[in-house]
Amino acid sequence: MNSRPVGQLDNMSIESSADGPRDTQRTLVVVPGEDLGSSEGIEAGHGVLVVGDRIISTKQGKMSRKGNTVSVSPLHTRYMPRPGDLVIGHIEGCTNNIWFVDIGAPFNSILPMSLGPAKVEFGGTRKILDIGDSIICRVQEVEETHQSVVTMKGMGLRKIRSGALDELDPHLLGRLIGKGGSFLREMKMQTDCRIVVADNGRLWIDGELENILEVRKRINGISSEAKMIGVDA
Amino acid sequence: MAIPLVPQLLRNHLSELAEQNQRIDGRGQWESREIDLQTNVLPNAEGSAMVTMGDTIVYAGVKFQIMTPYPDRPNQGGLMCSAEVRPVAGRNWEAGPPSPESIELGRVVDRGIRESGCIDVDDLCIIPGEKAWQVILDLFAVSDDGNLFDAFALAGIAALRTAVVPEVKFEVSDTDRPLPVSKTPIMCSYHKVGGRYVYDADGREELGGDERIHITLGDNDNVHSLQKGLKGIFTASEFAEIMEHAKSRCGELRDLVHGSE
Amino acid sequence: MGGYGDVQMIDENGIRADGRKAGDLRPIEIETGVIPVADGSARVIWGNNHAVAAIYGPMEAHPRKIQRQDRAVLDVRYNMAPFSTSDRIRPGFNRRSREISKVTAEALESVVLVEMYPRSKIRVEIEILAAEAGTRCVGITAASVALAHAGIPMTDMVVSVASGKINDVVVCDLNKEEDNYGEADLPMGILPNSGELVFLQMDGDLTQEEFQEAWDYNMEAAHDIHRIMVDALKGGES
Repeated sequence: MNSRPVGQLDNMSIESSADGPRDTQRTLVVVPGEDLGSSEGIEAGHGVLVVGDRIISTKQGKMSRKGNTVSVSPLHTRYMPRPGDLVIGHIEGCTNNIWFVDIGAPFNSILPMSLGPAKVEFGGTRKILDIGDSIICRVQEVEETHQSVVTMKGMGLRKIRSGALDELDPHLLGRLIGKGGSFLREMKMQTDCRIVVADNGRLWIDGELENILEVRKRINGISSEAKMIGVDA
Repeated sequence: MAIPLVPQLLRNHLSELAEQNQRIDGRGQWESREIDLQTNVLPNAEGSAMVTMGDTIVYAGVKFQIMTPYPDRPNQGGLMCSAEVRPVAGRNWEAGPPSPESIELGRVVDRGIRESGCIDVDDLCIIPGEKAWQVILDLFAVSDDGNLFDAFALAGIAALRTAVVPEVKFEVSDTDRPLPVSKTPIMCSYHKVGGRYVYDADGREELGGDERIHITLGDNDNVHSLQKGLKGIFTASEFAEIMEHAKSRCGELRDLVHGSE
Repeated sequence: MGGYGDVQMIDENGIRADGRKAGDLRPIEIETGVIPVADGSARVIWGNNHAVAAIYGPMEAHPRKIQRQDRAVLDVRYNMAPFSTSDRIRPGFNRRSREISKVTAEALESVVLVEMYPRSKIRVEIEILAAEAGTRCVGITAASVALAHAGIPMTDMVVSVASGKINDVVVCDLNKEEDNYGEADLPMGILPNSGELVFLQMDGDLTQEEFQEAWDYNMEAAHDIHRIMVDALKGGES
């Protein structure tokens, strides 16, 4: 019963970082259980298993091969935190020395007082970040249970005080950013908005209201276009 | 229903939008999402409809039972309307006994249909004092992205208007007949979002909004049901404004229902 | 299973009342992404069965007592909408739905890599909007496609199908009449790539030979259904 292979976690894979779901090149779409060929000389990346001498996909997604590593990145998935990810979170609750942050992952994230945005007296957490506030933070560590710790110590990490938040499915972020960030850069220039694209699919858009609306219109365009043609096209 | 977290940033953004007469998805204050209404979509219901409003999707199904008429109304059948929002419809909907939210949904839609008198209950009597038809309208949400009220009400009346009384199956007579529905009550719902009322709020507007008002109008603009829901305060002039809009919008939706038959 | 031999459901040429041959399936259509607010979803229209499945999660397992420290639990709910059958179903607790939910969860937990998400749960919501016969098979099939659509890792998808016996003839994929008046029903959950099983029930009366025949029909049908599932996941809407 326990002899069956255990999959490799997406967030534990070394090379899975940005290129996985962000690969916009046309690749082969596979489904769970699909035979991806012989495992001889092949390293199993994320989203695949070695069963006997075959490589088997465990997800619906795009198969990619880098060197001799074969992986499958899912077309649709809930956000799974990885250390180093830039994320936008909402403060969900707090105790005297910890904030609980919703980063759209399966589990709450915690932001300890020591990693907060400012020096806090014990018990003064709510004065700095209150429930319902939104923050830009970075994932510091991820436990085996997918519970994570976030930090606000770092460049550009802060409480969000203005502008609007939007969401885009994590697998569509690549389309928004474009090759080497070209598409996003162009959009920022054209709309005169500040746009932060977080790895958990949340976007912060700040600028004049009408410009925010223009950005939102373009983002919705990306979503509906992807729905129309299928992201693999 | 689990209570979702409301980001303060969303509320602030909705207020800024309202000040400039804008909405979060670019619609006008009184503009609805695109509506798709299809009838006769479920093979085992005696009448059925599916309504899609943006990402909100609901079904309505009509079934019949034989009942004993109530002693004080021996010549009348009955109508029962219930709404179920099961956890399939969204992250925050939970399993278990009906939540207060889904009970309110069912009762508000029920009142609008019942009080309009659109179903001729006298015509549902089979044997006075002994047997009558009970019409059961079940409203079922599949995807909740806001304004389930209007989606349910629209699907409900469309399903009733296309329902067929199964007289053969119940051995009442040898021919089935259409359910007699003479009127088309229509509900319009308004949410206070960013300090002003908008029509047909979506999920984000419901999340970051305040109180809501539901108005059901009959064929001659007669008022059949009203409901104010959630915490909040509204003025007489705000109400007058949304009533004005409801009067014109109900006519359009009535045409949509009649066109789907 | 009742009314043995009362109703003629298959003629002397082996053609069933709805025109199918013994081994034929009813028409099947599968579409993904039908519930926009869910993390993954699928609709399966199989004959006059009409089912939708939605996936939410993985998410923190609540209530605490269902949590498993070393793996995820599948929180499966199979339910029939009140208007899904000829006689209305009263909403609420239902022993039949509970049992089907349980066996469905156990079938799906056999393929989902639950070890990857300790202490979490994956909600699997199966709603039967119209029932003809074989709704548990339709539900398991819909849930498999929805799980794949939600990006949940699995060793394989479960294909579920039933065969049975009518007028002493073994046939595949019973319709409503055949289910009501037939003499046996054998639903199975099959892993199409390995031919292994994760779900098995049976009721009725079959000889050893008939049982083998029904088993073989299911195995064969599973491949055809699997092809439709794969098409739905690879083409069109994603």
